[in-house]
Amino acid sequence: MESPAEPPSPPPRALMAPATILERCTTGIAGLDDILGGGIPRGNMVLVAGSVGTGKTTLCLEFLVRGAERGERSLFLSVTEASEKLIQNLSTFEFFRADLVSDGSLVFVDLPMLYDKLGLEHEEMTADEIDILIRTIHDLVETLGVKRLVLDSLTSVCYRIRRDEAIRDFMLRLGQTLNDLGCTSLLVSEIGPTQGRYSMHGVEEAIVDGVVLLWNTRRSGDILRVLQVVKMRGTAHSRAQYVIELTPIGLLMAPHLKGGHPEGA
Amino acid sequence: MPPADIGERLRSLPGGSAVALKLDAREYADHYFAVLNATLRDVGSEANAHVIYITVTNPASFVWSLAQALDVPPDRISFVDVISHIMMNYSNPLPNATYIETPRALEEIMLRVDYLLRKFPHPRSIVVVDSLNALAIHNPRELLSEFFHIFLTNLKSRNVLNLILLTSDEEAGGLEQMLSLLVDETIDVGR
Repeated sequence: MESPAEPPSPPPRALMAPATILERCTTGIAGLDDILGGGIPRGNMVLVAGSVGTGKTTLCLEFLVRGAERGERSLFLSVTEASEKLIQNLSTFEFFRADLVSDGSLVFVDLPMLYDKLGLEHEEMTADEIDILIRTIHDLVETLGVKRLVLDSLTSVCYRIRRDEAIRDFMLRLGQTLNDLGCTSLLVSEIGPTQGRYSMHGVEEAIVDGVVLLWNTRRSGDILRVLQVVKMRGTAHSRAQYVIELTPIGLLMAPHLKGGHPEGA
Repeated sequence: MPPADIGERLRSLPGGSAVALKLDAREYADHYFAVLNATLRDVGSEANAHVIYITVTNPASFVWSLAQALDVPPDRISFVDVISHIMMNYSNPLPNATYIETPRALEEIMLRVDYLLRKFPHPRSIVVVDSLNALAIHNPRELLSEFFHIFLTNLKSRNVLNLILLTSDEEAGGLEQMLSLLVDETIDVGR
C-alpha cells in the first residue's frame, strides 16, 4: 500500500526572523538603517534625546531630507529656531537640496507662529488648547500627506503643558493620530548631560515607540559624540554604542571602541 | 623584498587585501621613501585609483611635499591628518586633507575614511596607515587591536586595498604579532 504523500514543508525562514516584518521607514542615514534592521517601523513615534551639541537637530533634518528625496513629504515643526535660520544652516550640508523646499516636499512650520494663529495664548495650555494643537497637527499631516514629521523640540511643547498627566495624554493622542496617518515621527527631547533619563518629565520615553539617545563622552579629555538606540518597538535592533560624525554628506557612524572597558575606553 | 620591487608587488594585490609594510628602523629614511614611492606613485597612479593616506607619523604637509617630488597628482590622494592638530601646526591646512584633533580619536579615523570613500568613490581605493607605531604611542594596546580589527575588516569588505606601515624595533614585537593576525601578508622592506 502506498503511503500518503508527505505534506510540502514550509519554506525555510531565516534564523531568528520575526513572524511578521513591519513596513519600514528607511531613514536614509548611513549606518542607522543597518542597526535598525532596515529602518524605523512605519508610523512609529521616536524620541531623539540628547544634550546640547550632540547632533539631534541635524539627525532629524537629514531624516526629513532623505525622506523628501524618496517622495515622502516631510514636515519640520520648529519651536526653538526660526525656519529661515534652520534652512540657512541646512544649506551648508551637501545632502540638502533647496528644490525640496521650493517644491513643497520639505515643509517647515514655526510652531510659535501657529500658536499665535490658533490663539493659544496661555502660558500653560488648557485641555482645549492641547486638543486644538493635536487637531491642527493632524490636519496639517493629513492635508499635506506628510509621511515624516519632526517636532523640535517636544521639550519646548511640554514646557507649556507642564502636568505629567496632560503630557502623557498629549503624547498618546499625538502618537495615535500620526500612526493612523502612517506618519513616522521624531520628537526631539532636550536633556542635561548627566540627567540619567531621556526626557525632561520622564513620562515621554514610556509613551514613545523608540528612543535614540545621543551624548558626548570623553576619552582622555577628548570629546566623542555617541549614539545608541535604546528602544525601538517592532524591530530587532542593535543596542551597541556608535560614535557619530556630522559630515557635509550626512551623519556617519562607527562602532564605539571599548578597548577592554565595558563602558568605553 | 628589495625596495625597487615593492611597487610592482603592491600593484598586483587585489582590492580587499591588507598588507603590512615592515620598515627597518636602521634604514628608516631610505625605506620610508621607497614605501612612499611604491604606495603613492606606483599604486596611486593606477587607472581609477585613489589613495587615502592616514598620517600619524608626519604631518600631511610633509608627506604631500614628498608626494609632489614624486609627481603624484593632487586629485589622486586625500589625507587624513591625525597629528598636525596635536602639534599645533594647523595654520596652513591642505585642500586635500581632513584633520583630526588627536590620534586618540580612533573612531574619527574610521569616520573620516568612510567619508572620503563615499565622497570620492573609485574602483581602486587604497588606504595607507602611516604608521602603526605612531598610533601605538597614543593608544593602549587593547584599543588599538580593536580598532584595527574593525577598521580592516570593514575596509576589506568594501574591496579597499589596505597598507599599514610598521617600523620594526624591540618595542614593536607585540604590535607586529597583533597585526599579523589581521593582514594577509607582511612585506619586509629591504630584505
